[in-house]
Amino acid sequence: MNKRRLWSFNFTTATLVLIPAAIGINYIGKLFAGVLKLPLWLDSIGTALASMLSGPVVGAISGAINNIIYGLTMDPISFVYALTSIAIGITVGIIAYNGRINTLWKSIIAGVVVAIVAAIVSTPLNVIFWGGQTGNVWGDALYAYLIAHAVPVWIASFLDEIVVDFPDKIATMIIAFLIFKGLPRKLILLYQSGENIEKLD
Amino acid sequence: MAKTLSLYVERNTFIHRVDSINKILYVLVSVAIPLILPYKFVAVLLILISISFLLLAKVMRRVIPLIEFSVIILLSIVIIQGLFHAGNKTVAFHIARITFYKEGLSYAFTLSMRVINILLAFAILVLTTKPSELIEALVKKGLSPRFGYVLSSALQIIPQMMSAVGSIMDAQRSRGLETEGNLAVRIRAFFPLIGPVVMGSLIETRERAMALEVRAFNSREKKTFLNERQNLRSDNVIRLILFSILSLSIVLRVLL
Amino acid sequence: MKKVVVENLKYRYPLSENLALKGISFEVEGGEFIGIIGRNLAGKSTLCQALVGLVPHFYKGAYSGNVEISGMNVLENNISELSKKIGIVFQNPFTQITAAKLTVYEEIAFGLENMGIEIKEMIRRIEYVLHLLDLEKYKDRNPFELSGGQMQRLAIASIIAMKPEIIVLDEPTSQLDPQGSEEVFKAIQSLSREGITIMMVEQKIEKIAQYADRVMLMSDGEVVDFDVPQKIFLRDDLLNYGVQAPVFTRVCRSLNIKNKNTGLYPVTLNEAYELMVRHEHNRS
Repeated sequence: MNKRRLWSFNFTTATLVLIPAAIGINYIGKLFAGVLKLPLWLDSIGTALASMLSGPVVGAISGAINNIIYGLTMDPISFVYALTSIAIGITVGIIAYNGRINTLWKSIIAGVVVAIVAAIVSTPLNVIFWGGQTGNVWGDALYAYLIAHAVPVWIASFLDEIVVDFPDKIATMIIAFLIFKGLPRKLILLYQSGENIEKLD
Repeated sequence: MAKTLSLYVERNTFIHRVDSINKILYVLVSVAIPLILPYKFVAVLLILISISFLLLAKVMRRVIPLIEFSVIILLSIVIIQGLFHAGNKTVAFHIARITFYKEGLSYAFTLSMRVINILLAFAILVLTTKPSELIEALVKKGLSPRFGYVLSSALQIIPQMMSAVGSIMDAQRSRGLETEGNLAVRIRAFFPLIGPVVMGSLIETRERAMALEVRAFNSREKKTFLNERQNLRSDNVIRLILFSILSLSIVLRVLL
Repeated sequence: MKKVVVENLKYRYPLSENLALKGISFEVEGGEFIGIIGRNLAGKSTLCQALVGLVPHFYKGAYSGNVEISGMNVLENNISELSKKIGIVFQNPFTQITAAKLTVYEEIAFGLENMGIEIKEMIRRIEYVLHLLDLEKYKDRNPFELSGGQMQRLAIASIIAMKPEIIVLDEPTSQLDPQGSEEVFKAIQSLSREGITIMMVEQKIEKIAQYADRVMLMSDGEVVDFDVPQKIFLRDDLLNYGVQAPVFTRVCRSLNIKNKNTGLYPVTLNEAYELMVRHEHNRS
């Protein structure tokens, strides 16, 4: 399907310009979640789109730079969660490359996988920095309840994280899928052309 | 949103004039030392040092919005750990009929000191450095200029996209889009809002890529820089001090 | 040396079935001002992009034929190399801002930094184009704060600072208001006076008639005609190609007022005015 190699580090100008746009989309998703008071983060839509368009490496970099910028301009602890963003980028990239996220069901399944991966990567970070909490009210309430009942910290923290990640990442992947479907073919082509100029006539 | 993503506060202090690379090194050293020497007073000491730098840079007041969110989480952590931490045995105090335990509070305290230490060290970097100078310093030291571009352009493209969203929201609302109400209504509002901006931004990437290409973006010539920063002698002195302190703490760790 | 030499250029976009350019050949001399006209999808933009190397290096696709820019072969050189000889300005002023710089001054420096130009020379060039494009009062402004016309002049300035011998302009005013358009045409006139070779795609036919030394009429990926404006606008089949002659020409044609020496109709306001005055004078 994709003429480019999956782990290509060959960045064209077009892929480099995609990265700030992807981060902008992450920010916009987050903004809308806030304005519309949706109980989700929705801050990875751009990362997912970058991965679907250009592969896991570009998605991972978009995610990482997203957190770096957020860390430098809003909340320094975001820096560390770059690891989670990278994991999301890689996961979506691999899934998109191998299976083409081209139906609603596939995007939901992708969302489930991404949620699990994100939770696995975030949990150690949560434990180290926040003693296992995530900053989300519902998740942390669950966490408090669990450790009050002698559930091991790691499990309580993982559940805290996944309770928020499942709906968030599934929604993210559905949204990314719908947007991707609506993109003009010429644009998708820009990121997926082969590397060669053919000789004509 | 501001026109460019930056927390830089314009002041004319010594801290502001320190080389950006040194400030990054300071952050790394501040984060590393409490890990090397995990004593409570080490973290507290570093916090005090960072605070004094922030005061010297006259940006202390701007620190508050930066750390607000984290401090709130830290408070919730103090409460939850104080009450429910696994190793809680020793009673610290009672409030009404709720018991707080020493182990949990101590654990929460250590976490808090670590987080605040990182935040304050970052605050020095972020509040006293112009992002463009920081990125240029990194490029001069070897970061690929193409990635330097990605970082620099992101800082302006993101606010541009956000303000475009503001216009779209107003336009759609005036066309009757409901943005308040029950969850279903709010979810349905999402796509007409996000669609145009996202599509527009992605389509624009192609044009921008072409414009960059014809501005010699991929030229293999050695890049030059319009802004030459003078290397101050203090730059090297500071770097030396930071490395010495780091080495000293490693030595102490090995000895103790 | 001829500035632009195109020999049997053919090009097909990736995943496209038809050729966008079907065998184009022409030459351009230094200092000429060439206008390119034709309906949408005639291949004008593709041709512009083929001159600077975006076709084929950016799009890939299938390519044959020969394009030489000041002696440099387009296929054999990358876009950055070619940008030393030829520059291009696109329609959308907004997407030509790099967004990496905070002032107009630094924005112009972007291309020069990439080319490795030494600082003193950089400053000299930036000051020169700021003056030429009348942007001096905006030099410390953020590029995003400019009006459309100002932004487009900034795009032109940024390209001219790189000192290309040839500049291509692909409908530079189509997204601007009348004032912005006027500013840009004034700027293009300054460029022309400096001796730069200019190739401009424009829908505003009166402007093409006013500035161009020669006009290229394109249709369906081919060059239909390439001649002086007076001859091009004499054609009866312009409407078939989605183009109308300048209003002055049409008026003079309907009044049968032509230049007695050449047998051609005027194409600009001044020419038409002179002839009409003389015509009236002769009649009375």
